Amino acid sequence: MAMAALRREGRRFAGSLTAPQPMSAIRSAIVSEEQVPLGVRSISTQIVRNRMKSVRNIQKITKAMKMVAASKLRAIQTRAENSRGLWQPFTALLGDTPGVEVKKNVIVTISSDKGLCGGINSTSVKISRAIHKLTSGPEKEVKYVILGEKAKAQLMRDSKKDIELCITELQKNPLNYTQVAVLADDILKNVEFDALRIVFNKFQSVVAFLPTMSTVLSPEVVEREAEAGGTLGALDSYEIEGGETKGEILQNLAEFQFSCVMFNAVLENACSEQGARMSAMDSSSRNAGDMLDRLTIFYNRTRQASITTELIEIISGASALEG
Amino acid sequence: MTYRLLGHPQPLRCAGIDCKYRKPKNKAERRQRKRRHPPKLAKSPSMASTAAVPFWRSAGMTYISYSNICANIVRNCLKEPHKSDALAREKVHFTVTKWSEGKPEKPTTRSDDPDV
Repeated sequence: MAMAALRREGRRFAGSLTAPQPMSAIRSAIVSEEQVPLGVRSISTQIVRNRMKSVRNIQKITKAMKMVAASKLRAIQTRAENSRGLWQPFTALLGDTPGVEVKKNVIVTISSDKGLCGGINSTSVKISRAIHKLTSGPEKEVKYVILGEKAKAQLMRDSKKDIELCITELQKNPLNYTQVAVLADDILKNVEFDALRIVFNKFQSVVAFLPTMSTVLSPEVVEREAEAGGTLGALDSYEIEGGETKGEILQNLAEFQFSCVMFNAVLENACSEQGARMSAMDSSSRNAGDMLDRLTIFYNRTRQASITTELIEIISGASALEG
Repeated sequence: MTYRLLGHPQPLRCAGIDCKYRKPKNKAERRQRKRRHPPKLAKSPSMASTAAVPFWRSAGMTYISYSNICANIVRNCLKEPHKSDALAREKVHFTVTKWSEGKPEKPTTRSDDPDV
């Protein structure tokens, strides 16, 4: 993404020069790197120097962004890996059944607020759209809950009427469980669902992110599935202490499961975002370096060509005088 | 054979000591007989809870908000400097926009910051 921006910027510089004649010279010079045709005054070296300065600045900025992303990643990575222990007992107890047949699905798409992070937001949105297609049908309802600006911008284009809630500005303070819990509470109170599908990018390593979907069922569906047997059917073999009924326990468990899974998903997505930003900024600094090399060669060639032209003029003038 | 005449279902299994099909010996036992087996509440786990819900659920809170409040209380029990560290881990800030029929409504910000 950043590469494309740099390339576009290079082309824009090529096109924005005021004098028309040098423009064709530059374009042919940059694109094909041929010799400047005789009789045409070449481009002023000042312009090329300006462009080199701006590309060098961009390279410095992207290098700095990469360092910042690396430090943020280090801070958040241990937290994300530790938070995996929150949802694993839930999956062992209640199971993760993506193939469950329900009427009301809500897709929670997690994305970032800031850009320049590679393609992770686009993959999340692509997966969300695919899940929407898979789970929609007659008598079925699928809605979106969107976290983050980037997914909102993409999903607003074609799924406007399916959006239920949009949440932004999540990363203003460092991510903590209380914030995600309040958020999960809001979602539970405002949205009706039978099953929640949480779509996020799981952090595997600095360069590898796995788009993942976690399924959290509502307590009524858990009871229905428990009666049907399978992993959930083993719930009945547990003793329940205290004065609570099984339905109540299931409701508490389902709510807590949702909040734990959300916490892990938000942390993993933040990790993936920083990692993706690191690699995107790294590739853009490398591209800026390449562009700088090409510009330097062109600059030297232009400079030498202008010196040669001057010499030719002087010598031809002198030889014309001598006769 | 006497048991079967009285309608006892399983004559061989009953120990005879506390069985309701035994003939009552005196008037006190006859009066007690009627009260021996009170009708049981048919309690199946899938029944909607007519049993008492905990106070926080009847007040409209979810388990998540209940546990958050409990965690806040625990955090406030700490001593300084751990207390301010722990309370700093509790800051909430996000903006929610509800959408209806393809149009966003006015966003509401939930925040612990005093200036927002």
